[in-house]
Amino acid sequence: MSSSHTDSSSPAVEMDPVEYTLRKRLPRKLPKRRNDVYVNMKTDFRAQLARCQKLLEGGGHREICVHGLGLAINRAINIALQLQASSQGALQLAANTSTVELVDDLEPEDPDEAGEPMTRTRNNSAIHIKVFYPDPQ
Amino acid sequence: MGNGVTPGTCPVYQGQIYSNAGQSAVVNNVSSPLKTAPLPVPLSALKLGQEGFKKVCRTEEDSPCPFPGLASGVLEMRVKEGSKIRNLMGFAMARMQGEKGVSGGGLSDGGLRQVVFTGSGRAVTKTITCAEIMKRKVGCLHQLTKLRYKVVKEVWESTEGGNSEMTVHRTVPSISILLSKDPLDPQEPGYQPPETLSALWEEREGAEPASHTTCKRPLGPLPHSSFPNCKRVCLGEGVSVLPPH
Repeated sequence: MSSSHTDSSSPAVEMDPVEYTLRKRLPRKLPKRRNDVYVNMKTDFRAQLARCQKLLEGGGHREICVHGLGLAINRAINIALQLQASSQGALQLAANTSTVELVDDLEPEDPDEAGEPMTRTRNNSAIHIKVFYPDPQ
Repeated sequence: MGNGVTPGTCPVYQGQIYSNAGQSAVVNNVSSPLKTAPLPVPLSALKLGQEGFKKVCRTEEDSPCPFPGLASGVLEMRVKEGSKIRNLMGFAMARMQGEKGVSGGGLSDGGLRQVVFTGSGRAVTKTITCAEIMKRKVGCLHQLTKLRYKVVKEVWESTEGGNSEMTVHRTVPSISILLSKDPLDPQEPGYQPPETLSALWEEREGAEPASHTTCKRPLGPLPHSSFPNCKRVCLGEGVSVLPPH
């Protein structure tokens, strides 16, 4: 999920890598319904693909939502396109993009030294792909 | 920004390989080696490189415009892996804002009405980032996002003297984002109205029983400051919703 690619770095706070540890907080919580799939880069690709297939075929969902943040955008798109390809055109995709604000904590390595704990915010891109069976009309 | 991309390259590539594995019959369509003895069919292009082959040519097959009915003069930004965001944005923003009397498709307020960002493979993230930056800077832009596979033809040549040649068709995921100052068809899949960070979620609430969406309520306004608290709330409600195991 995490990626070092930011799209607008805030005016750089001076950071000495010796004095501070960079700690990335988890991204903001987003809706977690049964048909929401948050793609990450740690889980095996096939496992995540299989999970989506299961939701659509076995789980009886008409639509699922595949989310990817940063580096995982690629994988989310891959999963969505694979689902569509293996459905022989039955599935449709509707992709939305957004910007997610992420917070980094800067913790002083040595508490004795002068240095305040700081936080920095940065932005990262995200994608939300709705994979659905179109309603017969 | 440039060096931020580097650590990511390996996992992305993996993703592509995995995707290839999913439909290997289609992807690694080794179309008749031109003038050689039969060669072992490679599993992926990566492997090709290890077996003493060199990529000599890479062409992207022409694919139809993902946005039918678009005026021909629309500015298309092709985002590549090595493109610098500041270069892309500097150019695109100038055209959209109509600075220095740039003409072309502009209406009353100057500047272009529409722009398309396209990118494939590892450039997908950068493409989205460009579109997001432009939406934030210009404001009131209607967006249409399309995903698809793009077919790339690669010609590989043996490095070990022989004149063997191989053509590999690979599919890479690609994204096209249309940003428009004029309204677009809201029924089109992948449409996003201007300024809809929260509406993105509201719109989907009807799809599921309300119980599943309740946990997002307390999270709405505060992005991160109350994060641990929110998590607990979320968990608590989740448990009450689920049937006992």
